[in-house]
Amino acid sequence: MTPAPPPSAGFPMVRTLTVVSLLCGLLIVLTDVNTRGRIRHNQEIIMQESVAQLLPGIQKQIIYAIEPSGDLTISAGLQGEGPRLFAGYDAGGRFLGVVIEASERGYADVISAMYAYDPDKRVVTGFKVIDMKETPGLGNRIGSDPEFTSNFKALDASEGHPITTVKHGTKKNPWEIDAISGATISSRAVGRMLDASVKNTASVVARNLDRIKRGD
Amino acid sequence: MSEISCHPAPPPETTDRPFLNGLWRQNPVFVMVLGMCPTLAITNSVRNALAMGLATTFVMVCSNGMISLIRKLIPKQVRIATYIAIIATWVTVVDYLVKAISIDVYKALGAYIPLIVSNCLVLERPEAYAGKKPVGKSLLDGLGMGLGFAFALTCLGTVREVLGAGTFLGVPLFGHNFEPWVLFLLPPGGFIALAMWLLTFTLWRERKEKLRRNAQQAELRQAMEVTS
Repeated sequence: MTPAPPPSAGFPMVRTLTVVSLLCGLLIVLTDVNTRGRIRHNQEIIMQESVAQLLPGIQKQIIYAIEPSGDLTISAGLQGEGPRLFAGYDAGGRFLGVVIEASERGYADVISAMYAYDPDKRVVTGFKVIDMKETPGLGNRIGSDPEFTSNFKALDASEGHPITTVKHGTKKNPWEIDAISGATISSRAVGRMLDASVKNTASVVARNLDRIKRGD
Repeated sequence: MSEISCHPAPPPETTDRPFLNGLWRQNPVFVMVLGMCPTLAITNSVRNALAMGLATTFVMVCSNGMISLIRKLIPKQVRIATYIAIIATWVTVVDYLVKAISIDVYKALGAYIPLIVSNCLVLERPEAYAGKKPVGKSLLDGLGMGLGFAFALTCLGTVREVLGAGTFLGVPLFGHNFEPWVLFLLPPGGFIALAMWLLTFTLWRERKEKLRRNAQQAELRQAMEVTS
């Protein structure tokens, strides 16, 4: 007579992993719910600082929410979801440019950034990472490497050619981004982010440019 | 040897005093040489070192406590997966909390906080201790190890910030004539400062051991003289 098979160890394993996963999920959701407001507030402060850095000399700003129809509506503050653009003016009311929010999937997670755009010259004049989880020492250099950030002093964003990221040291055209050696995935994500954002937003800015310059 | 330990031979736990063992006798950095990635990457200022040390302490206390609480329900085959899920959860919680509490600290540590989950120390303690011991002792072990880690990071951060920037917690210590050794803020400076601390700690421990042995021998000689 064959002995009875030992009881399956599968059920306790599945039970433990399921219970632990549920507990962990609950803990993360509770933390998220309780910290969301504060995190949002901190991110708004970072955004305000970033706008000031991207548009030097800014004294006044108007925040526009981009409606799905492509129209702009003035936003009272930074509350609310959806794409926004920040129009900056100096002390004399002269229009300095716009700052646009953009995001793209990077190596580790979504990279959130802001960039300054000059609608008259159709060039990107500055780029700043707001939030990312790219690899320290490699991918996260997209936010700090001076050589990489120098790509955005006057990056050509006019129609006719996409903004593309090229291998480190091979940049030839003003619409190309020279990648960081060893951080190609993150560098390419920045290129895709800017290209998609400019394609989507530049036409909205162009259509409403007179209004933005007047500040109404 | 634990299965997930990065260290070849952790020193023996002479007595079961979890808090003191972690804080001093088995200090994670100076004795067990664990968690070298944050130790070298974060310690270019005292503030960053303290923040990373406290974040790691929080993760260790919470994950040790939770693992110890459910240790009898965890089948041996899935213990590592369970430990990692629990540790990763607490790391995520810390990530949210730091992001909510201070922008400056988050900017400095943001990219490194998720890496706490891969810290050998945080993974080693559940396997070596919390998975086998009661909740109270496991919490003390997490607290001791975490604070020991924070202490070591702060020691390194102090040397690097004082020599590399001439400041302590951002407060200038020297006059305008002081020329900072920028090398200490760079990665090579981290290795140099760590080597200096390891050498100091090892020499101090050896000296203490030698004194203890000499005292024992003297006692033995005295006892032999009395009997003869």
